[in-house]
Amino acid sequence: MVPVSYYLILSAILFSIGVGAFLIKRNIITIFMSIELMLNAVNLSFVAFANYWNQINHQFSGQIFVFFVMVVAAAEAAVGLAIIIALFRTRKTLNVDQVDLMKL
Amino acid sequence: MHLVLFFIFGGFCVAGALNLLLQRHPINSALSLIVVMTSLAVLYLLLGAEFLAAVQVIVYSGAIMVLFTFVIMLLNAQREERTHGSRAAYILGFPGAAALFALLTFIFISNGKSLGFAVLGPDMVSTSQLSSVLFRDLLLPFEVTSVLILIAILGAVALARHHEPHKDESKTQGKER
Amino acid sequence: MSAVSYSQLVWVTLPEIALVVAALAVLACDGTVLRGAAIARRRGVAALLACVGSVAAMLLVGSGPASFHLPDGMLVMDGRTRVVQVALLVLTILTVLLSEAMLTPAAEGVAGGKTAFTHHIGEYFALLLFATVAVLFLVSTQNFLLIFLALEFLSLVLYILTGFDKQSQLSTEAALKYFLFGGISAAFLLFGISLIYGLSGSIDLSQIAVAALQPDPLWMIAIVMVVVGFGFKVAAAPFHLWAPDAYQGAPTISAGFVSSSSKVASFFIFAQVLTLGVFGAAGSGMWHGAAPGWVPVLCVVAALSLLLGNLAALVQTSLRRLLAYSAIGHAGYLLLAIIAHTPQSTSALLYYVFTYALTVLGAFGVLAALEAQGIDRIADVAGLSRRAPFLSACMLVFLLSLAGIPPLAGFFGKFWLFGTALNAAPQLGLFWLVMLAILMSVVALVYYLRVLKQIFVADVPANAGAIHSGLVTRVTLGVMAAATVVLGCDPGLLIRWVVR
Repeated sequence: MVPVSYYLILSAILFSIGVGAFLIKRNIITIFMSIELMLNAVNLSFVAFANYWNQINHQFSGQIFVFFVMVVAAAEAAVGLAIIIALFRTRKTLNVDQVDLMKL
Repeated sequence: MHLVLFFIFGGFCVAGALNLLLQRHPINSALSLIVVMTSLAVLYLLLGAEFLAAVQVIVYSGAIMVLFTFVIMLLNAQREERTHGSRAAYILGFPGAAALFALLTFIFISNGKSLGFAVLGPDMVSTSQLSSVLFRDLLLPFEVTSVLILIAILGAVALARHHEPHKDESKTQGKER
Repeated sequence: MSAVSYSQLVWVTLPEIALVVAALAVLACDGTVLRGAAIARRRGVAALLACVGSVAAMLLVGSGPASFHLPDGMLVMDGRTRVVQVALLVLTILTVLLSEAMLTPAAEGVAGGKTAFTHHIGEYFALLLFATVAVLFLVSTQNFLLIFLALEFLSLVLYILTGFDKQSQLSTEAALKYFLFGGISAAFLLFGISLIYGLSGSIDLSQIAVAALQPDPLWMIAIVMVVVGFGFKVAAAPFHLWAPDAYQGAPTISAGFVSSSSKVASFFIFAQVLTLGVFGAAGSGMWHGAAPGWVPVLCVVAALSLLLGNLAALVQTSLRRLLAYSAIGHAGYLLLAIIAHTPQSTSALLYYVFTYALTVLGAFGVLAALEAQGIDRIADVAGLSRRAPFLSACMLVFLLSLAGIPPLAGFFGKFWLFGTALNAAPQLGLFWLVMLAILMSVVALVYYLRVLKQIFVADVPANAGAIHSGLVTRVTLGVMAAATVVLGCDPGLLIRWVVR
C-alpha cells in the first residue's frame, strides 16, 4: 500500500529536476531531454490521479491523457530534433550560449 | 511489498534524473534518461496501468530515446564546456528548482491524507477498457493526433532535408523531389 | 462518457476536413503535376488551392449546425465560436495572399536583395492550412484533452513555419528558442492540467467548474501553472522571452501568422478556460484584501506585460522586434478584458483581438513586401513615403490603429475594452490597472510615431530607388487598410457579430 501522495511527491521531484536541468544545461539536446523529463513527471502524476479516481468512480481519463501526451512527445521530438539539425547545419554548434545572434 | 518496490524504482528515477543533471556528456544524460523512463514503467505497473507501462517502454525509452541518441551521434556532440552563461544559470537554476520542489511537496504532504492509497485491486484498468474509450468516446482526439503526426513528418522532412544548391531554380526543383 | 455516432462526428467536423483535404491537395499537386514547374506557377496554384479550401471551410462553418455540444465538451459550437472560426479563416486567406510577396524572388541586381526564402512551396501552404485546422479545433472545444492536443498541434506547425528559412541563421535560431520555450510551457500547462484533473476528476471544463467551487490550496498551484502555460502561448510578460526573437528571425509572413491567427485562438481559449473552467476560483485583485484566485495572478501578468512590452519597444531598432514588444503590450490590454470576465468584456476582447490581428498582419504584410529590399531596421525605412507611397499609406493606417488613434479600429477596441474593464465588478479593483493601461497607450504612441516619422519625414537615402510590390499584395493590403478604417468609423459592423 503506497499513498498516492508519494507518487505525486516523486513526480514533483522529477519535475523540479527537469526545470533545474532546463535552466542549467548548456547543450541544446540535453535541454530538450530535460523537457522530456518534465513530461514524464507529469505523466506519473496523471497515472497516480487516474488510479485515485478509478477507485472512486471508475473513471480513468488520466491514463488516456498520458497516452496522448506520449504521442505528442514523439511528434515533438521529431520536429525538435529536425530544428536542432537545421540549426547545427547553419551554426556548427550545440551550445546554447553561442546561439545568440539576437539578444533578449 | 509495494512500498519496497516503490522506493527501489522511485530511487532509480531520482538517481537517473540527478545523473542527467550532473553528467556533462549528452550521451550519458540520454542513457540516464532511459533509466528514468524504464523505472517509471515499473511504477505505472504498480499503479495498475499495464498498457501505459508497455507503451512507456516501447515508445519512450524505445523510439524517442533512440531518436535522441541517434541525433547525438549524428551531430557528434561533445562534452559541454562551462561558460559564463552556465555559472549564471547555476545561481538561478538550483534555487528556482528547489523552491518549486519545496512548494509542491509541502502542498502534497499537507493534502496527502485525502488522496488515500494506490491499490492494485480488481478494478484495474484493462487494455480493452482503455481501447473502447479511446476508439469510441475519444475518437475525435485520436483522429486529430493522426493529422498531428502527419505534420510532424512533413515538418521534420522539410526542415532536416539537406538544401541542394540551386543553379537554375526550375531545374533544381525537379531534382529535389 | 457516452459514445458519439461516427456520422455525426464527420458532420460537425466538415470545415476541418475540408481544410485537411485542401492541404493534402496542395501537397499532391506540388509534388506530382507541378514537379519541375517554375516557382511562380507552383506558388500560384498552391495559393489558389489554399484559398479555395479556406473559402469552402468558411461556407461549411456558415451552413453547418448553428449550435451543438458533443459529450464531454469535446466540440462545442455556438454563435460566438462560429464568428471566431470565420475570422480565423479570413486571417488564413489574408496570410496566404500576403505570402506572395515573400515567395517572389527579388529582381536581379537589387542591392541587399534576398531570394525567395524557401523552395518548399507546397509544404509551406499545406502547413498554413494545417495550422488553421489546429486553431479551428482549439476555439471550438471545451475539453482539456483536445485543448492540449490542438495547442501542441498549433505550436508544432508554428515552430516549423518559424524555422522554414533554413538557410538563415536567424530563422533557425528563432525556431529553436520558440521550440524550447514552447516545450517547457507545454510541460507547465500539462502539470496544471494534471493537478486540475486530480482535484476534479474530469477533463471537461463544465465539470471542472463544479469542482472548482471548493477551495483548496492545490487549485492555486494548478491555476498558476495553467497561467504560466498559456502566458507563454500569448506572449505575456514574464513569459515572453521567445517572442521578440521569433518575430525577428522568422520569415516575415510566418511571424505575421504567429502574431495574428494563433493569438486570436490562444486568447479565446485562455478566456474560455478561465471563465468556464475555473470561474469559481476567481478571487479578487484589490491591493488590500486581495483574495486568492486567478484574478490577482493575471493582474500581475497584465501589469508586467503592459510595462515591459511598451517600455522595451521604445528602445528597439528592428521593426519586427518593435512589433514583438508592442504585441506583448497588447497582450496586457487583452488580459485586462479576461480579468474583468463579464459577458461585455468578452465581446470587447473579441473585437479588440480581431482588429489587432488584422492590423498586425497588415503591418507584417508591408514588412514582407519590403523584405526583398533587405529592410528590417527602423533606419532603413527613412523616406519610404517617396519610395513606396502606397505601402507607406497602408503602414500609416496599421500603425495608427495599433496606437489607438481615432477614427481607426484600434481606437474603438481600446475604448470599449477599457470601458468594460471599468464597469466590471468593483471588488476586482481594476481601476489602477486601467489607468496604467491608458498611460502605457500614450507611451505606445511615441514609438509608433517614431517609425512613422522615419517613413514620412526623414530624407530619402541617396542611392535608393522606388520599391515595387506585386499586385496581389497591394490589393490585399489595400483591402485590409480599408477594413481598418471602416471598422473604426462604424464599429457596429463587427459588434453585432461578437455580442452574443
